[in-house]
Amino acid sequence: MEQMLVNGVVLAVNYALIALGITLIFSIMNILNFAHGQMFMIGGFVVYYLYGIFKLNYFVSLVAVVIVLGVIGWSFETFFFRRMRRMATREENSMLLAVGTALLLENLALSIFGEKQRGVPPVVTGVFRIGTAYLPAGRLLVMVLALVLIVGLLLFVQYTKLGRAMRALAQDREVTHLMGVNVDRVAAYGFALGAALAGLAGGLLVTVFGVNSGVGNVYSIKAFIMIMIGGAGVVPGAILGAIVLGFVEAIGYELLPGSITYLLIFTGLIIFLLLRPQGLLGKPWG
Amino acid sequence: MSTLQLRRRNFLVGIAVFVLGTVSFGGSTYAQEVLKIGVLGVMSGSAASWGLVNKYCAETSAQLYNEQGGFEIGGKKYKIEIVPIDDKNDPKLAVSGAERLTKQEGIHYIIGPNVDTTAASVQPVAEAAGAIYFPYAFQKTLYSPPHGNAVLGMIASYQAGPIIYKYLMDKKGVKSVSFVARNESDPLNQRDEGVQAAKKLGLEIKSSDDTYEPGTTDFFPVMSRVVGKGADLIVLSGVAPADAPLLIKTARELDFKGTLSTETAQDIKILNEVAGAAAEGFVCVGGASTPEIRSDEMEKFVDRYKKVAGEWNDEAGTKVYALEIILATLKKAGPEAINDVELFKKSMPDFTMKNPFLKEDKELKYVGTAYFSQPRQIGVPMVVNQVSDGKFQALFVGSVE
Amino acid sequence: MGLEINQLTRHDGSGSFRVARENDHLSSRQKLRFAAFVLILFVAVPILLGRSPYYITVLTNAAILSFISLGVWVTFSIGRMNLAQGAFALVGGYVVAILTTRYGVSFWLCLPLSGLISAALGALVGWPVLRLKGVYFAMTTLSLTEAIRLLALNGGDITMGATGIVNIPRPGPVGIFGLTIVPEFNGADPLPFYFLACALLVLGLVAVWRLSTSRLGWVFRSLRQNEDLATSIGINVAKYRVIAFGVCCFMGGIGGAFFAAFHQNIYPATYTISDSVNFMLYCFLGGLSYIFGPVVGTFLLVIAFELLHAVQDYQALIYGVLMIVCMLWLPNGMLSLGLRQDGRREGERR
Repeated sequence: MEQMLVNGVVLAVNYALIALGITLIFSIMNILNFAHGQMFMIGGFVVYYLYGIFKLNYFVSLVAVVIVLGVIGWSFETFFFRRMRRMATREENSMLLAVGTALLLENLALSIFGEKQRGVPPVVTGVFRIGTAYLPAGRLLVMVLALVLIVGLLLFVQYTKLGRAMRALAQDREVTHLMGVNVDRVAAYGFALGAALAGLAGGLLVTVFGVNSGVGNVYSIKAFIMIMIGGAGVVPGAILGAIVLGFVEAIGYELLPGSITYLLIFTGLIIFLLLRPQGLLGKPWG
Repeated sequence: MSTLQLRRRNFLVGIAVFVLGTVSFGGSTYAQEVLKIGVLGVMSGSAASWGLVNKYCAETSAQLYNEQGGFEIGGKKYKIEIVPIDDKNDPKLAVSGAERLTKQEGIHYIIGPNVDTTAASVQPVAEAAGAIYFPYAFQKTLYSPPHGNAVLGMIASYQAGPIIYKYLMDKKGVKSVSFVARNESDPLNQRDEGVQAAKKLGLEIKSSDDTYEPGTTDFFPVMSRVVGKGADLIVLSGVAPADAPLLIKTARELDFKGTLSTETAQDIKILNEVAGAAAEGFVCVGGASTPEIRSDEMEKFVDRYKKVAGEWNDEAGTKVYALEIILATLKKAGPEAINDVELFKKSMPDFTMKNPFLKEDKELKYVGTAYFSQPRQIGVPMVVNQVSDGKFQALFVGSVE
Repeated sequence: MGLEINQLTRHDGSGSFRVARENDHLSSRQKLRFAAFVLILFVAVPILLGRSPYYITVLTNAAILSFISLGVWVTFSIGRMNLAQGAFALVGGYVVAILTTRYGVSFWLCLPLSGLISAALGALVGWPVLRLKGVYFAMTTLSLTEAIRLLALNGGDITMGATGIVNIPRPGPVGIFGLTIVPEFNGADPLPFYFLACALLVLGLVAVWRLSTSRLGWVFRSLRQNEDLATSIGINVAKYRVIAFGVCCFMGGIGGAFFAAFHQNIYPATYTISDSVNFMLYCFLGGLSYIFGPVVGTFLLVIAFELLHAVQDYQALIYGVLMIVCMLWLPNGMLSLGLRQDGRREGERR
């Protein structure tokens, strides 16, 4: 019982980082970042190479993740999505482009990183006991770091100028533009930040799960599920979605055989979306 | 020209250049006879190492032969050309790949595929086209009559399983076992075979229903269930090299003190990288070549393999046998067998040669009659490894009849 | 009623109104092009490529994949991004698999049956799901693809779970009064499957074109442009959405049934999210404004993938790059290159 709860909390915090990244991008640009899982994966590989192979300090490698993914996210917005926005009126085009970027990143990663499963030496070792439950120290570290990053992000979005600009952009693009904000630049930074968050999640989880070039799609789907549950484009919604998914997974895997858990998750999600399409906390969309 | 017409012209020109470019890459002329052998397997995704090792092994052996002028069959030297195709473990791609190899390239000998689903898909194609394929999938129907075009390239889990369990019962006092399998055709079959074997040996089966989805990276939930059953031995049925280290690490984090084993081949580098010290004592089927039993020829192969693939992979010790035995059997059956697999099949029952990869003087032949009623398996040595101090240590070496 | 719709859309200014109006009845030029296409499929290709069974198989795959993508195109025409086509192909495949292997039903009976069952399932699920739009509909249909795959995985003895259903028999002969109209499909000859695939594709194109130019097609277009407006003039929006979705699922089911008999096996993993996404991509690359879009898109991508075989190691990477290039430089699809300079292209701002 306790193991289930511990698993749930750990999963929820890990997932929250992923959900926040994709919700940020969605709120600013109305694009569902299909490549989110691939960005997560690239973050994992950056840490693998810098921390695992070149033996740099773990936190230094995390900084590198932010830089690498930030550049990727910024480039996507500046070179791909901005161009698409100017050219096409169908909203499907942007979504298709997002799918294209996912394919691109995935195949790029496969070419550069190879196909093997990779792992890194643990940052901390040891296992804690909480009642009858086990909590490996590595997972605890990841959880703590993720919490720090989440709080950091929330503060950033609430109190810094750039963060406020992003929130304004999410609320109303036209008015924000009229207020004198360089909308294009803020959008690019927003995408960069969202990508960096995905990469950081990957960089954190590589110490627990390792990484291989195929994990992208799995995490993209988790990200979608979370923001659909919580409400796309809404920060508290992302966190709520992460909590729901984390606990449902933990409880489901404990009590039910393997794949039935996800069958129930998907069926439940479909029914839930029919009743409340905007998610638990989302704004009713037009 | 208007923008539209300009765009259109540029686009078409670009496509034409591209097509011409790729097509011209394809052709070359050889002055020598060429023997093409196909490799069809999973070369991307989480199980990529399975198919890639097939490819690298074939390419390494081919390189070594070609440098000596080719492989001799019926007095003529043939340059060996390997044609690889990635099926991504997708039956649809396996079918189109097999069609391409047999009908487009005119190949009659294919190494691969790697799992039950893709091997079953290739079966009708190979049989219709008169080709022999060497899968690394264990489903017995592939190799038993009325089918006869498939040859198993490695030791099957149901062959290694009983031997491993017996060893662990005798040497480590194992009395109970739990199984956990990937939710996919191959691993589930292997799990079922394992359960049968365990029952026959008198082991207590604590649990055998736990499965995990392909693509899972978080094994905490499933392993907490399995470890909780309290068995002496946990068998990871059909586990992929990418998943095994994580499963092992998680089991140890959950304070599992017993033995972990599997009947598939694993990769020591990944085990060390991801599981570290937790992998100590892990029992698995090894590549059919450990440093202790290797011949000089095998050492040569290992060195060249490292150049071709970038690093050694334990599995290659088993997969090196495929191309070697194909060529040797063709040599015995004669050059007509290159295009007529029936001649190849006729040569199989009495085929024998000195095993080139073992130090000891041992025979290499086609085996498997006890399981498939016909000799449709390469007689690779069965090596069972244990992880010891970050290296594979051979527990014992056996064989299948 | 029809006139009012026309006037409303003309205010909207979208070019599709113009294109559709002109194509309500095929110009003789277009009839000629279609006839040429049919001739190439049924006569030229078998004659030219008959010796290369491999290419015939590639074209067979392309033909059926474009048939399935055509279904997705129909849902695009009511303004929805449908990512569930993989699910319905899987359903169609399992119908054929279960009925032929377990009950000995003839493939020719199973083929329309799988289409109907998929359509019925689609209508049932679609009724509530089609209320959603845009990203939400896409995500829900994505979940549907996964849900159906997991259902097949956990289908116990009915679907045989992960082990799938194998040894599905090839289509048998069809005859009347002792005369064989359709011979037995044997494994060595790829042409019977090829002809079947092309027949399905041609029938599909004709059916979708008739649908598109009929009153139903008009209703679909008005739904795509403005659903609320359509409701306000009294159109039963829900009913027409379900009809479009049902047609899409019908085609998906038939496509899946074809592949089940073609490959003689089916597994839960046969159609994944990647496949659903691919069907959508094919429509897109060809051009969403054109009925021929899915066909062009599919054939181009399938052939491009094969051509890239020469550069095996970078095949997937080049494929991904090409995809992005096409999306950025040809957002309206390949066929938009061929449009004459007269009309405004769809989606172009003034």
